[in-house]
Amino acid sequence: MLQAELIELLGSVAPIIISENIPVTESRESEWHCLQQKETGDENAISPFRFRPQRLRFAVEDEYFEDGDIHRHMYLQDIVTATADDEHPPTISEFRCHIAGCRQLFDTLEGYEHHYNSLHRNVCSNCKRSFPSNRLLEMHILEWHDSLFQVMAEKQCMYECLVGGCGLKFKTSKERKDHLITTHSYPADFRFDKAKKSGRIREKKTQQQKDSHMEVFETATIQQESESMDFSLTPEPESMKTVETEPMQTANLKPRYSYKVPSSICFGQGSVRGFRGRRKK
Amino acid sequence: MWRLKTLRHKASGSANDLEEFKHKRREFEKVLRQARRNKQLISKRLLQNVDEDEEEGDSMETGSIPLSPEQVREMIRGVQSGGEEKAACLASLRKALRNPESQVTFIKSENSMHMLIGQLSSHNAQCQLEAARCLHELSHSTQPSVGQACLPAGPYLLTYLSSQSTKLVELCLYTLGNLCPDSAVVREKLLAQGIVPALANCIHIQRYNLAVVEAVGFTLSQLLQAKDATEKIIPAVMASGIVPHVISALTPDPEFGYGPAIECTWCLHYLVSSNLDNSMLIAQGALSQCSAVLLTLGGAVAQGNLEGGIELLIWPLLRCLGNLLVSGGDVMPEDTRLLAALCVFSQAYLHPQPALSRESLWVLNNLTAGSSGFCSGLLLLNMVPILIQFLSFSKGINSMALRVLGNIAHHGPEYCVRLTQAGLLTALCATLKMAEPEVVTLSLEVLYMLVSSNPQVVEEFTRLNGVPLLEAIQYNSEGEQRVRAAYILDHHFSAFSEVESLSS
Repeated sequence: MLQAELIELLGSVAPIIISENIPVTESRESEWHCLQQKETGDENAISPFRFRPQRLRFAVEDEYFEDGDIHRHMYLQDIVTATADDEHPPTISEFRCHIAGCRQLFDTLEGYEHHYNSLHRNVCSNCKRSFPSNRLLEMHILEWHDSLFQVMAEKQCMYECLVGGCGLKFKTSKERKDHLITTHSYPADFRFDKAKKSGRIREKKTQQQKDSHMEVFETATIQQESESMDFSLTPEPESMKTVETEPMQTANLKPRYSYKVPSSICFGQGSVRGFRGRRKK
Repeated sequence: MWRLKTLRHKASGSANDLEEFKHKRREFEKVLRQARRNKQLISKRLLQNVDEDEEEGDSMETGSIPLSPEQVREMIRGVQSGGEEKAACLASLRKALRNPESQVTFIKSENSMHMLIGQLSSHNAQCQLEAARCLHELSHSTQPSVGQACLPAGPYLLTYLSSQSTKLVELCLYTLGNLCPDSAVVREKLLAQGIVPALANCIHIQRYNLAVVEAVGFTLSQLLQAKDATEKIIPAVMASGIVPHVISALTPDPEFGYGPAIECTWCLHYLVSSNLDNSMLIAQGALSQCSAVLLTLGGAVAQGNLEGGIELLIWPLLRCLGNLLVSGGDVMPEDTRLLAALCVFSQAYLHPQPALSRESLWVLNNLTAGSSGFCSGLLLLNMVPILIQFLSFSKGINSMALRVLGNIAHHGPEYCVRLTQAGLLTALCATLKMAEPEVVTLSLEVLYMLVSSNPQVVEEFTRLNGVPLLEAIQYNSEGEQRVRAAYILDHHFSAFSEVESLSS
């Protein structure tokens, strides 16, 4: 509502009472959910939503009233000044990455978005590496985690050049790498063309940089084949403590690793591989 | 009466002076905050002598040199010896008593209080006034011993509340007001001596003298802030007949200034926010009076008028209204102009006094909770975009704004549609990423109501790229958030996700 309209409204001498309210639909929660249960056949679909409109009361000594009381007493003691006071600006909300184990804070929405899109999309559910693009992720999954690929690679050229539009395929990862270096001037240590290491090794965890730039971050892998994935990003001490852990895995993990993500889950569009059981917690 | 201290812009005044002042004020504020946390927030007021404005320069100097016990004795003798010089002696004593050390020396001196009380109750009007001023200086002391030494003067101070001399009445009131917070002992004595009926009588007789009304309000507010007020003081106050006067004093007088209304409204706030049941106060017109004054002030603020300490009056009014809405049965105002006033306050004070902005939103919550009238009002008067602006600000502002929006959404699909049209979905896509868990949880609650209302909302949310956001929330460490995000995805977005997973 424009300022002028507000002024006009407040200038009205008579009370303004809305004659016709917008029609209300009572939500009979329990009935609705019974219906839902019948439809989905899921007896566990009890709504977790608890919001109800409620009037809040604050007692006279409540912390909620602190600022106003201080202002009042500063007036009594002659410290309040007539001129406007810029001592207490409102605080702008920060943003926080949702991924437990990350939990990084950002001043701006753009900062958050960039971080999330760079680091939490296109993540391989098997080895937790993140990739800058869907294509690179898909290639990685094929080359590292697909046994059929391994079989076929023995007979034909399966390693595709990384450069879009090139399309050449090679027999080995090394040949492709040489091609990238000679033909496409790639550096020898290009990050997204690491050769697959044989066997499962406990890799060193690298420290995630504060500004999220496109970098593969490697997380410690668990030695046994396991259901759960571990998202050990920059350890923020406080977030580490408040998380449930699946009992089976705790033995192998340092206590500061936090919330576990089932391996069958990938996030981000396009990195969906066997996207099932989102409800697993 | 008080005027707000104006920052004196001296010709030679530099940025340094201003900085120093601000620094001192910040330090002072820290002290006050700690005091409140210790439930020891006490303030006293010193009534400046209007006749002596020109002496202000000197007074600092005379006050800075403490008197010796011998000098005190001499001054006492000077008064007791009588004659023409008495009043002058008392005047110099009063100036000397500005010094805290002199105050202590004085009360320790034999017969000092006896002498003062004698002069206070004498037939010499001038001496009476000067003695009262001396007592007033003493009452301003932060030393509990000094206040306690003034106790014998209590019955006299109370008696003179019925005096015809408004000057004397004012002095006595502020003196009493300063003595009240000192200790429970002092309060008990004054209560026993009938301070509450005396105040009631005083405000009744002097109700057209706004300076006195202000002084009564101040003294009453000091009583009502006591820790034991709820059991020991409030019942007496409610029974005394003072409340109707307090309520009628809420209407500010434009010529006189906000002082009387400020004091009386704070009294009302202490009453309302200490009681669990305020039906009596509502019956005496508290709710309608608060609403009426808020509307008037809303009009002033809407026109950009933030000067003169108007927030000192808005603040307690908001608290009265907010708590009256919860504790007075189901009495609800109906005037939708209140919505406009509250929106104006929350916007206007967002930067200068964010806590006041937050409390305005709190009152909006209490008005809209369970009132389809006010919810319709907010929608029809197009105030939702204003609420959406508040979602960027933390420390209770965005969460309260979300509650108000939730109150609206809770009324059903018709309300949800209009909320969506006002752009709420886009805003929720941002609030769902915020750091405060309460904000995210409330956002999920509101989102759920919106998507449940209409399949078009589901489409819109998908278009805004909200689905990956909900998926990400499922990996949040807060169970409350995971569970809600999962539920929304399962019940409203499962169709979409299956399509996606199949196509890749």
